[in-house]
Amino acid sequence: MVLALLLPLFCLLHLYVGQIPISFSDYWSSFSNFDATSSNHIIAREIRIPRLFMALIAGAGLSIVGLLMQTLFNNPLAGPYVLGINSGSSLFVALSIMTGIPFFASELGLITNALLGAFLFGLLILFFSRLVKTQISLLLIGLMLGSFISAFVAFLQSASNAQELKVFTLWALGSLQKVEFSQLPIIIGITIVGILGAFLLVKPLNALVLGENESKLLGVNIKTTRLWIIVITAILTGLVTAFCGPIAFVGLAVPNLVRILFRTQQHFILISASALLGAIFILLCDVIIQLTEPFFMLPINVLTSIIGAPMVIFFILNRLR
Amino acid sequence: MIRTKNLHIGYAKELLAVDDLSLDKGELYFLIGRNGSGKSTFLKTLIGETPPINGEVLLNGNHISHLTYKEIPKTVAFVTTHFPLTDYLTAEEYVRLARTPYTGHFGRTSSKDQDLIDQAFDILNIQDLKQRFTSELSDGEKQMVSIAKAIAQETAIIILDEPTAFLDYTNKQRVVDLLKNISKTMGKCIIMSSHDIDMSIAAECPFLAVNSIEKKIRQVLSPTSKEEIINLAFKE
Repeated sequence: MVLALLLPLFCLLHLYVGQIPISFSDYWSSFSNFDATSSNHIIAREIRIPRLFMALIAGAGLSIVGLLMQTLFNNPLAGPYVLGINSGSSLFVALSIMTGIPFFASELGLITNALLGAFLFGLLILFFSRLVKTQISLLLIGLMLGSFISAFVAFLQSASNAQELKVFTLWALGSLQKVEFSQLPIIIGITIVGILGAFLLVKPLNALVLGENESKLLGVNIKTTRLWIIVITAILTGLVTAFCGPIAFVGLAVPNLVRILFRTQQHFILISASALLGAIFILLCDVIIQLTEPFFMLPINVLTSIIGAPMVIFFILNRLR
Repeated sequence: MIRTKNLHIGYAKELLAVDDLSLDKGELYFLIGRNGSGKSTFLKTLIGETPPINGEVLLNGNHISHLTYKEIPKTVAFVTTHFPLTDYLTAEEYVRLARTPYTGHFGRTSSKDQDLIDQAFDILNIQDLKQRFTSELSDGEKQMVSIAKAIAQETAIIILDEPTAFLDYTNKQRVVDLLKNISKTMGKCIIMSSHDIDMSIAAECPFLAVNSIEKKIRQVLSPTSKEEIINLAFKE
């Protein structure tokens, strides 16, 4: 409840703190009565609003995905990162920037490549999940894939020139500012589909808390559930990674925080709270980024860990006491 | 309740041949045998997790291979040896999951479901455990909550794998007495595996003995002496 009230507050704060002050009436009129010659209107529509929505989508999407992975693998360390799905995106982006292979370097651009990478690696994990019997094996395969790809990407980086390296590094640092207003409807649409999909899985997720075997004994169709979880993961991770770069940490930290704060295993609550807290967390990070923009450039990926890691450690210590 | 015909069980290789069994409601059966003799495999065959090599298992008159994965949990409840280790899962939420086979797409429990859950806690007289986290329960309490979950699953058959393995003497007695009581008063067919000979004799229940030399499972109707059980199931 508190989270649901906090979210709109943080949204307003987020819109308010940009370098160029824009009044809320400007925001309103940029929609109701858009004036292409007004710089305030352009900033509001093309920069601030997309940035706000990307913060919400990245936070909510990655947190839900992290929660789904953690429940599926019965492991609080799981997340899209661990499964190598982010790495898939990184690999395709690295290929597109640094190799000059025509297929990757086409006008499709960074975003399509990242999305494609996430989907392919989601499918790859799905394929492995049919071969191996236990989730631990799958988790290990994900980790191995991830480190294999990281090594490959590092190799590409060492072989590329300064300009290419810069482009890739900037993407990898993460940013909420790569989306245009016209792209928003489709991005929001896909996100809503992904989140609704997660809510449709509430019942099998609740049973999965007992582990795969026990939930099978309660009549849960494990294979179908697994498939849907991985599909949702690929969609949300691919989308966020494509537009914002590989944002680490949120997917791992937020669901753990939510469990500590809410002390429940009911997934309706966990999914709702993860989405809200994730969105608030990214908004908070981005507010700080905007406030410090006049002085230095803080990449989102750096800030999530700088704020998030101590926060999680604090909560874990508090809980153990 | 449970019938088997010409049943042979195992995985790739045959492990045991099972006498044609006829297990009735209102009874608690002890499945006894040495460690590694195939008790768990037999139980897993009865719940449809391990397909038989040969022969038939009938649960409540239905051929087990004809029951879907959604129907089996409405017929038989299984209590595993490993209590799930999860943070922030209260005993009540844990028992509530037993209603999973009956609830709709979103898993909402009705007031009838809630009544059955409350009833399960009442029968075992463990209402005080409801709001406790399962990760903080003692071994004896965990076993009680597991049994409550099996009762809330509302099945004609309950199967328990080594439910007394980690318990002290008092708790062992308590669990066996309770199971016996539940089988009588609720008319359920209950099977529990064990390798505790003394406890099994004291319970005065019918046996299923795994003989690992002849590689057979036999039904022994009347309670027997310790020597006889050793001969049947524990001979080197």
